[in-house]
Amino acid sequence: MKRTLILSAAICALLASGIYAFGDIAKPKPSVEPKPIFYTGLIVKTDPKEYDARLIISEETLKNIQDAAARRGNASLGQKIMHSSTRTIMAGTFMFLAVSFAGIWFARSGQRRSHKAIAAVFLVAIVFGLATVIVRANAGPPGYIRWQNLPQALKDGQETAGGVQIEIVPGDDRMQLIIPLRKK
Amino acid sequence: MERAENIVVSAWPKARARDDRRVSAAVFATILIVSACLSAALASWLPLQVSIVSVFLFAGPHNWFEARYFLMRLPARFGRSRNFFIVAFAGIGLLTLAYISLPALYYANIWSGANWPNAIAGWNTLMILWISALVLMRGRQKANRDWFWVLPIAFALCAFNWLAPELFSLAIVYLHPLVALWFLDRHLRRTKPEWSKTYRGCLALLPLLLVGMAWQLSRTSSLADDNGLFWRITQHAGADLLPNVSSHLLVSTHVFLELLHYGVWIVALPLIGATGAIWSVKSIPIANHSRGFPKLIGVILICGLFAVAVLWFGFSANYTLTRDVYFAVAMAHVLAEAPFLVRMI
Repeated sequence: MKRTLILSAAICALLASGIYAFGDIAKPKPSVEPKPIFYTGLIVKTDPKEYDARLIISEETLKNIQDAAARRGNASLGQKIMHSSTRTIMAGTFMFLAVSFAGIWFARSGQRRSHKAIAAVFLVAIVFGLATVIVRANAGPPGYIRWQNLPQALKDGQETAGGVQIEIVPGDDRMQLIIPLRKK
Repeated sequence: MERAENIVVSAWPKARARDDRRVSAAVFATILIVSACLSAALASWLPLQVSIVSVFLFAGPHNWFEARYFLMRLPARFGRSRNFFIVAFAGIGLLTLAYISLPALYYANIWSGANWPNAIAGWNTLMILWISALVLMRGRQKANRDWFWVLPIAFALCAFNWLAPELFSLAIVYLHPLVALWFLDRHLRRTKPEWSKTYRGCLALLPLLLVGMAWQLSRTSSLADDNGLFWRITQHAGADLLPNVSSHLLVSTHVFLELLHYGVWIVALPLIGATGAIWSVKSIPIANHSRGFPKLIGVILICGLFAVAVLWFGFSANYTLTRDVYFAVAMAHVLAEAPFLVRMI
């Protein structure tokens, strides 16, 4: 017990010195670029009978855009964590302690059942890891691929469907649709 | 320690004798399933209304039953468990005081509420470490038990808590009602082991009901929280923290779990004799012991009934304010569940 306490105190002292060292790193500069607030789908098609261009938005999509715009001031969970150094440091410290004490427990426990439990934990971790890799692998091609046939489709009078990110920018300029066409 | 354990257990044979002439396991299971389905249906159909009515009717009485149960589980002499109970009561007192202080300082304009997530994260960390200390102390009292694994889990929970303190607090709101089901499980295992298997089978229905509610309500429009009370209820269920989830689903789920919680404390545990005859203090070891305090316990229980009446009066006079005050003060009973549950493991 005494040895564990001394070890814990030494770890805490080491971590405290690390926190002071990181205190001298400059804050990241805030980004001023507009950020996407909502991701949805878009279909581009031509109609020779129409007199004017039309933008058709479903009620549900409009509501989602309005909700997303209303929440624009609220940062996401990930952003909140990234911009709270105190919480990041505390979370990191506790994660470190969790892994360290798990190691101590593993070293202390000589029972077969404990080893089985640890093996089960590792197995679950591996399954999650593999699942993550598989999911990322199946994330699909990059968005611009879907727009590559747009010029030909426009010539042929056919429709093209792809993803689009909605951005809200200051000012009263006209709406813009930026299509990610790559030169072949 | 031995004496304390014997005294607590001594109340159970009476309960067992009384229960023998009561319902069978099949009837018990039917009652549980029907109650759970009815609660889920009510909570899904009228979430806000059921929330208001259930808190009004059952919040106070369930706290009284819980307090009586804990008094019954309190040994007459602490013996080897003295340090455990010192840490337990100190933790309950200090953590409750700190929890009430945060909004009190804010409303008194002493604290601006800056760094609110950090304050909440700090409080949650202290709570986790306190529970871990109790588990470790309990583990030492049991032979051949190494509960050191509690520490890595506790630190991992602390890490998650510091990443998302508000979500961690919301998790406590949803998990707390389930603790009552755990108490019932432990109690059945000791007093009516023949019902324990049936009960655990019925517990399997709980995730099915929750999934069914999520399936039915996830696409419903959010509840109208256009007045202060409705807004508080939706916020309490996490509508602000989970904006992409229908507040109807959130409130219904929370109300459903709360109904189960109230049902266990007010109906299930008293019916199986876990709290003894409610008007008698003889089943409470600390009152029945030769060097016990029967008058003090009697006064505490009567004062508790008076507090329930005051709470009902408060709800009648100003429901919103009383609800806010109740949910702040009620943290004490949430914390009190931890040491008594740890003692039953």
